[in-house]
Amino acid sequence: MKAPVVEERGVVVIGGGPAGLAAALGARRAGAEDVLVLEREHRLGGILPQCIHDGFGLFLYKETISGPEYAERLAEDAVREGVLAETGAMVLDLTPDRLLRVNSAGGYRLIKAGAVVLAMGCRERTREMIEIPGTRPAGIFTAGSAQNLVNLQNLRIGNEVVILGSGDIGLIMARRLTFEGMKVRGVFELMPWPNGLERNVRQCLRDFGIPLELSSTVVEVRGRDRVAGVVTARVDEFFRPVAGTEREVACDTLLLSVGLIPENELSKRAGVELSPLTGGAVVDETLMTSVPGIFSCGNVLHIHDVADWASFEGFEAGRHAAGFLVCGAAAGPRVRITPGENVRYVLPQAAASGAAGLELSFRVTAPARGMWVTARGAATGASYYRKKFARLVPSEMQKIKIRKAVGEDIEVACHG
Amino acid sequence: MDDRLTCILCPIGCELEVSRVGDKFEVKGNECDKGLAFAADEVLHPKRNLATSVPASGTTARMISVRLTGGVPREMIFPILAEIAKLRPALSVRRGQVLIANVLGTGVDVIATRTLLF
Ligand SMILES: Cc1cc2nc3c(=O)[nH]c(=O)nc-3n(C[C@H](O)[C@H](O)[C@H](O)COP(=O)(O)OP(=O)(O)OC[C@H]3O[C@@H](n4cnc5c(N)ncnc54)[C@H](O)[C@@H]3O)c2cc1C
Ligand code: SF4
Repeated sequence: MKAPVVEERGVVVIGGGPAGLAAALGARRAGAEDVLVLEREHRLGGILPQCIHDGFGLFLYKETISGPEYAERLAEDAVREGVLAETGAMVLDLTPDRLLRVNSAGGYRLIKAGAVVLAMGCRERTREMIEIPGTRPAGIFTAGSAQNLVNLQNLRIGNEVVILGSGDIGLIMARRLTFEGMKVRGVFELMPWPNGLERNVRQCLRDFGIPLELSSTVVEVRGRDRVAGVVTARVDEFFRPVAGTEREVACDTLLLSVGLIPENELSKRAGVELSPLTGGAVVDETLMTSVPGIFSCGNVLHIHDVADWASFEGFEAGRHAAGFLVCGAAAGPRVRITPGENVRYVLPQAAASGAAGLELSFRVTAPARGMWVTARGAATGASYYRKKFARLVPSEMQKIKIRKAVGEDIEVACHG
Repeated sequence: MDDRLTCILCPIGCELEVSRVGDKFEVKGNECDKGLAFAADEVLHPKRNLATSVPASGTTARMISVRLTGGVPREMIFPILAEIAKLRPALSVRRGQVLIANVLGTGVDVIATRTLLF
């Protein structure tokens, strides 16, 4: 048998969503000659073609447009600037030395990449569903799959719906299904605060009088062939249902909007170190993972609520991937960046010692008002950043910039 | 302070504190100027954009997503949705193409938000 031909490429981006397309543009703009995007779907833009509501693009295009418009514009920019984008191309495997196995229109092939950018996005969590007792009738959907069925496939998914979880997709779908003439009975959220953006609570629920019940959950699903109702209950501070608060809500459809998980199967195969806090790769300030020459950005790195930020992260990852083709990875001492009090995670988790102008992304663990966000040296206690924030909520990713050069491990915290 | 609002014009979702001073509004907490106009509108007469999708003419599920070019008074949402539901745009459609001009006299247009060629 002959050894298979290996196609040699410069920067290969896996995933053609807002992060991946931006990464490809970033690599081109930084001088990479050969930039290839591999997208498994038949359309570029990632999740955006099904996000038909407006609210995208304010930062990248300076106007608010819908998801499909944002996706088309970014894809047009990429093609105009010399990016090669291939749809219907699914990456099956990635090795630490950047060999990709790809299933594409022309058949199975091998690609050797000078640098790889991971931009595979995320998938919807369904674990909570498995823990709900009761029957398993038809009529249960994740919010994102319901969005796809309604917006892209013109299907009617039911008449009366209950939504478990207050993630943004669930909130957006509450309004969308109301537009389609469905009755949304309520949104039930386990936490004492909404999981989605405040703007979505206002314009998707409050505008239409849809109830949002916090600290509550679905404890049972009823119905034989089709969902006939759910039983909801309030939960205590340990998220245990409180006996005596059960209430039956009649509905024929249950939507789950209980979170998103970065899609890192390929990253694992390549030996990329993952963070238990984000579910995404551990990266340095160049967005390079623990495997030299493999970079990560967008929802596969950590969940973004704003597509523009996923794209900005993409531009950076692409630019550094182009740099890697020329110079390889920088050697030298590193510092670690860790989350402290009321901070769920911070990115990047590491940086070159002495780096100045570090940009950090973080999320708080619980809502905070009028609190200080600080970055302190672990060894010296020196202050690298200190600012008071009027309002911080877990659903909104924050970004801060540290001007000073950082020469020791630092901890980012949020406190009074 | 008369009202606490969340600006919904972009995902930053600034929390605005609105106070009425004579016939003017004083707004705190907005990170950009759009928040000022939003606060005044939201207190006096809330406006919303809307998005839906309709199948192209002669197809059951080649979907064309649409939105409005600007906000309309909230009570116009369902009447406008009913107008859009009657649409069966012919292929091909280009992003930004006006499908209904000045819908129900609101001064805003219904436009396609994707390109779908034959
Ligand atoms: C319902 C909803 C509403 C939202 N609302 C807003 C909003 O109003 N405003 C806003 O700014 N943001 C919003 N967002 C957030 C925004 O859409 C995301 O932050 C953004 O899409 C993340 O981009 P991404 O490129 O990382 O991932 P994705 O968009 O998920 O793209 C990943 C791509 O990778 C491809 N892929 C995965 N694995 C492979 C493989 N092995 N081989 C080839 N290709 C692969 C996938 O097919 C996909 O196309 C919303 C998101 C959702 C889901
Ligand atoms: S005030 Fe400006 S930055 Fe703040 S939410 Fe409104 S549009 Fe966005």
